[in-house]
Amino acid sequence: MPEIRVGYQEELRTLEASALGGLDLVSAAVTRTLEAVEHQDIELAQIVVADDDRIDGRYLEVHQALITLLATQSPVATDLRLISALLHVLKNIERMGDQCVNICKVVPMTGHEPPADEEMVKLILTMGVHAKSLIMQAKHAFEERNVEMARDLVERDDVIDELNRECFQLALAIGDDADKREWAMTMLLTARAIERIGDNCVDIGEQVAFVVTGLFREFEDASHPSASA
Amino acid sequence: MFGSQAKSEAEEGRTTMSPAGPVTATSSQPVAAASTRRAKTLEAKEVNLFYGDFQAVEGVNMTIEPNKVTALIGSSGCGKTTFLRSLNRMHELTPGASVKGDIELDGEDVYASGVDPVAVRRLIGMVFQQPNPFPTMSIYDNVAAGLNFNAGRIAKSEKDEIVERSLRGAHLWDEVKDRLDRPGMSLSGGQQQRLCIARATAVSPEVLLMDEPCSALDPVATLAIEDLIAELKKEYTIAIVTHNMQQAARASDNTAFFNLEESGKPGRLIEIGPTEQIFTKPTQKATEDYVSGRFG
Repeated sequence: MPEIRVGYQEELRTLEASALGGLDLVSAAVTRTLEAVEHQDIELAQIVVADDDRIDGRYLEVHQALITLLATQSPVATDLRLISALLHVLKNIERMGDQCVNICKVVPMTGHEPPADEEMVKLILTMGVHAKSLIMQAKHAFEERNVEMARDLVERDDVIDELNRECFQLALAIGDDADKREWAMTMLLTARAIERIGDNCVDIGEQVAFVVTGLFREFEDASHPSASA
Repeated sequence: MFGSQAKSEAEEGRTTMSPAGPVTATSSQPVAAASTRRAKTLEAKEVNLFYGDFQAVEGVNMTIEPNKVTALIGSSGCGKTTFLRSLNRMHELTPGASVKGDIELDGEDVYASGVDPVAVRRLIGMVFQQPNPFPTMSIYDNVAAGLNFNAGRIAKSEKDEIVERSLRGAHLWDEVKDRLDRPGMSLSGGQQQRLCIARATAVSPEVLLMDEPCSALDPVATLAIEDLIAELKKEYTIAIVTHNMQQAARASDNTAFFNLEESGKPGRLIEIGPTEQIFTKPTQKATEDYVSGRFG
């Protein structure tokens, strides 16, 4: 039988590409954010903050287009699951952009002095590199509808979580100097924001599983770790 | 359950089925709509349907569950209407048409020898695509028509009760109670269809079959019929053929998808399941393609 609703299918494909393209924007934002943290580059941090409007714009634009598709095309089955998942993913993308903004807003608070603990900066930069890798893995898992790749995000996110805990230990051990303590607190906020980016990637992975299987399950349930799928 | 063909028309007409068993048609029934009662299960077993040598439907096995709405969907020519019409033995009214397989109403074979097709159609009523009130009859007489035909003489007061109950059940009473003697054809399309539903329920069927009951109606009348269907399932088992997939999604509990491989081949049941599942995660690709509108 002839394929019909070609225009609608094409639009859905375009919107998926546009939504997932938001992950490229986030990945670029993370790159700049890490650079700003490493070099205490306040100007670059301000650019990241200003550029977040692009991520928000992508979110609003694709979100509206998906709502219009829902209203006018009555999607069902896989199409419906895809649109539902994309709405979630867009929210995750927007949140990840905001985490970059959160980090960049505290860059000026680290001052112009050399870092109080080089090791802690290294850990945070390593966390950032892992987070970027997770972002791209989440994107590929979604594009390829690859549940295995999506599930693997959990283990890779565990690495970021472990690094975050190490940062915390370093902060505890930083001593009594008030300036150093303030610096460490700022860096902990940064580490925490990167850790949340990892969590958002896992959330995207859960949406991949939903699109493919039709079942929504959290890969990991923070409040009931033993009950996770 | 079913009247025997050996019985005389008058004799068989006096016996109908109630949830409690056979009752005489003269016994009174409550005017107020009852809360949910268990209707009967309709089950198709290896049903094959033919028009002469042409096989229209092949190997259908499905259960139409009691007190639920089962939607039959599929593209034109896939056999869903033919299948629906076989459920109350209307298929055989077409010259040359024949049926193989079993259709059972609560375990009793509708096609068993000696079963009277008229009795089957009383227990399994049908509502058609085009509202079809009897053109020369009043609103009242349209609803009472089946009673007159099936039940012989019954008291006027009881007939009044049944007509009122049926019109109330069809959400039409308040709109027509002051003009019951007006022609049925004087009503709007949506009202006429509700009148036909009242006519179908007046004879206390177990199952209501609906063949695209809203396709000739405007959107508001369509939604009114869908609301009515949701009410009716508390009393009856309902099967509805619809081309409107949103209607199937909105109004049914279970959905059955029929399809044919290619023109000239018989239609088959591809998948049946809870409507929610069919419209969110169908198991068959053909179902997915159809409900997603990828082919028509």
